[in-house]
Amino acid sequence: MRADRIRHFFVYFFLIFGAVIMLFPFYWMISSSFKTAAEYNSFPPTWVPSNWLNLDNFVRAFEKRNFFVYFLNSVIVTFCSVALTGIVTILGAFAFSRLRFPFRNAVFGLLLAFMMVPFEMLVITNYQTVTRMKMVNSLPVLIIPFISSIFYTYILKNFFDTIPDSLYYSARIDGASNWKYLWRVMVPIAKPSLVTIMLLNAISSWNSFMWPTLVITSNRYRTVQLGLFTFMSEAGSDTKLQLAASTVSILPMIVLFLFARRYIVNGVARGGLKG
Amino acid sequence: MHVRIDHLTKRFGDFTAVDDFNMDFDDGKLTALLGPSGCGKSTMLNMLSGILPVTEGHIYFDEDDVTGMPPQDRGVGLVFQNYALYPHMTVLENIAFPLEIKKVPKTERLEKAKEMAKLVHVDTLLDRRPGALSGGQQQRVAIARALIKEPRLLLLDEPLSNLDARLRLEMREEIRRIQLRTGVTTIFVTHDQEEAMSICDKIVLMKDGILQQEDAPQELYDDPHNLFVANFLGNPPINNIEGVIRDNAFVTRDSAVTIRYRNFSKDLPEGREVILGIRAEAAIISRDETHDFTGRIKSRYTMGKEELAFLNLGDQEIRVYLSTEYEDKPGEDANFHLRSKGVFLFDKETGERI
Amino acid sequence: MADVKTAKKKSRDEQGNYIFNRRFEPFGYLIPFALGLIVFTIYPIVNVVIMAFKEKYRLSGRYDGFGLYNFEYVLANDDFRNALSNTFLYVFTVVPIATVLAILIANLLNQKIRGMAIFQTAYFLPMVTSSIAVGLSWRYIFNTQVGVLNWILSVFGINAVDWLGASGARAPWNIVAVIIFGIWNMLPFTIILLLSGLQNIDPMYYTAARVDGAGSRMMFFRITVPLLAPTIFLTMIINMISAFKVYNEIIPFWSGRPGAMNNVYTMVYFIKEQFYSKDRLGFAAAAAIILFLIIFAFTMLQRFVQRRFRY
Repeated sequence: MRADRIRHFFVYFFLIFGAVIMLFPFYWMISSSFKTAAEYNSFPPTWVPSNWLNLDNFVRAFEKRNFFVYFLNSVIVTFCSVALTGIVTILGAFAFSRLRFPFRNAVFGLLLAFMMVPFEMLVITNYQTVTRMKMVNSLPVLIIPFISSIFYTYILKNFFDTIPDSLYYSARIDGASNWKYLWRVMVPIAKPSLVTIMLLNAISSWNSFMWPTLVITSNRYRTVQLGLFTFMSEAGSDTKLQLAASTVSILPMIVLFLFARRYIVNGVARGGLKG
Repeated sequence: MHVRIDHLTKRFGDFTAVDDFNMDFDDGKLTALLGPSGCGKSTMLNMLSGILPVTEGHIYFDEDDVTGMPPQDRGVGLVFQNYALYPHMTVLENIAFPLEIKKVPKTERLEKAKEMAKLVHVDTLLDRRPGALSGGQQQRVAIARALIKEPRLLLLDEPLSNLDARLRLEMREEIRRIQLRTGVTTIFVTHDQEEAMSICDKIVLMKDGILQQEDAPQELYDDPHNLFVANFLGNPPINNIEGVIRDNAFVTRDSAVTIRYRNFSKDLPEGREVILGIRAEAAIISRDETHDFTGRIKSRYTMGKEELAFLNLGDQEIRVYLSTEYEDKPGEDANFHLRSKGVFLFDKETGERI
Repeated sequence: MADVKTAKKKSRDEQGNYIFNRRFEPFGYLIPFALGLIVFTIYPIVNVVIMAFKEKYRLSGRYDGFGLYNFEYVLANDDFRNALSNTFLYVFTVVPIATVLAILIANLLNQKIRGMAIFQTAYFLPMVTSSIAVGLSWRYIFNTQVGVLNWILSVFGINAVDWLGASGARAPWNIVAVIIFGIWNMLPFTIILLLSGLQNIDPMYYTAARVDGAGSRMMFFRITVPLLAPTIFLTMIINMISAFKVYNEIIPFWSGRPGAMNNVYTMVYFIKEQFYSKDRLGFAAAAAIILFLIIFAFTMLQRFVQRRFRY
């Protein structure tokens, strides 16, 4: 019993120690957003800002750069991306899982092989393509190239495959069309899997960085990540303000994680992250 | 509705699952498709529902040729082995689903669904989801859903195999009750002979895609056309004794026992190798010296009202019933009569009844 | 019902028959997916191969034809060599260290503990937050004059390290800072995969071992590690594949430049710079194909091992 208690102590000690290290950058970002210049530049560091109501950094960051617009852009892009990718993925996964057409499995196998190709390799051509289509500097350019996702289709198809054939036959014998069966039976049953896909997609949309830097140069269409990046590259910009902006930028994801932790963790454990 | 199948054949590549079936399913009757795993009975059912295309032959529902008709136009109700209930819908929604597809107005279809629920005795569970139901209750819901669109033909695929023993007895009675009540022509697939025997008007016994025999349950039991049919039906299974025909009598293969039986045909083929099938209840102990055969008692097991005895007939062994008051001990010889029913001779080569 | 043989045949048969969908119906469902795929995945794959072998920049001037010049140029390029060595250094430090740490943490998390939700949140949060935003916080932590890390070192009497600055020949601490940040970033994903691997180990092995009198260290090395080995290996490969694409991790520290002295090039950074800033598509395509080949090799390794590791 005593050995058990000692073991327990060590387990908690190390877990808490690790958790503090993992969380520290977040604490440091948030707390530093409230610091005065003197506190920010003090050494030894100021662990706790003197005034948690000091919103000066936030106000000035938002004055300097139009984070409201960036935020709105990110929200629109994330929302549209989740919705459109969701629909396209549902349709595609259904065709691969349920419908019959020649070379179905061979085609799907080929798609899985394409998953190995890193986005970084496609980006060269995609940049030229969207330039030629005159899509640069718009919001759709941040959404459309990612609508067809082999990875999400693969996850959803796998889930669809677990729904017994008998449900399909039963519905079809009762006169349901494929379309009706998909939306009335398959999609409701696959809801957990769909939610996971949508969450993973929302996270990657919100955090997407490289592609936006290539195709967005106009201030009007910057996303939050891009806003942060231009903010930090501006000469003489105050790093406290950057941290304040960062704090705001990660809030939606933190909230999302707190509410949907289980879905996200299960989704990652099952399928891995996109990439 | 009367169902007729005409030279019906199903091949998967070079494997023949159903081989040239000709048969009638009578209007308003309950028919069982019976046979061991892989005998083609589910294939047959799926062709009737339209899920599987037919390779050759025709299916007629009354006078309509439905062979190429898509499943949804055939007017069949199908209950799957795993019930295929929609997990995200309540019992009521599940039952009403076929009418929802037909765009029947909501109040009307819910009314009808409640009626069906009452018929199958799930009217107290309307708001539950399938996950919260027992196997038997799920089965009832599945039947109600299949019946709500008033099908011309009700098909049940292994309806009892996912239930435990007690529920199985209960549900088979229920299926019979509902079938009689609605009068719908019903075909169900099973591998359990007892299930088929107990509730069906007719049994279609299949093996390896080939029709073995179709008959009323008692006919099938009393008059099997071949060894497979005789062996498939009955519990305990029929005794098989190998031997040859000599002088219009059966002689065991080691010549130890000779059985003369009054019902044997008068001109049995001399010297033919045969198998004698004797149902356990067909041999009764003889109180006097007259007897059809003699066997040595090997062991006895009580089964309550009677005992099961193992007899040695030369080097072969059979099972018979003994009444408990009969006191012969293992190792002693006993004389037996054969009843007029339950004794069959089969050709050893072909398995055909002689 | 049907045995395996018939079931297999059945599926083949059903493919030849169109009972439940019209022959062209599936394409209606596939069109949106296929369109996006063709334009933004399949065409680019073909195109990048063409670009990589198309020679436009022979020193003698413009030249149209196919050859290996782009690869020759890239492989001889100092920035690319720098990128290659940095990327490999990054992959082969971050992945093993993150894996070892993740094994330890996953084991701690795989017990009955109170406050699981809080610990999970703490350990998994970096997975959902962008490297750009959190990187800014790390940049502050790494600050030479007022950074927390140097303060901690000073407590132990160690002199300030110029983590992100340009001091020293080729600023060696730059890549170390990226590696530390990379490990922190990789941990959540790794822990989640290993934790789910741990949870798949049948507890009966531990019960049996305890009955046989094994201690907890013995159980860890004789049961946990061997049974977890396939998961560990696969996690490492997946992590390596993603680590080879390191890019976002270097952006916040130097506001988009690759290190204080252009010394922290990575392969993806090189690709992006070649095609975007320098408009040299052929070189970018060649570098991208080299990156793909490396990733491809690791993917094959993963497939191979996945097949071998089946108990």
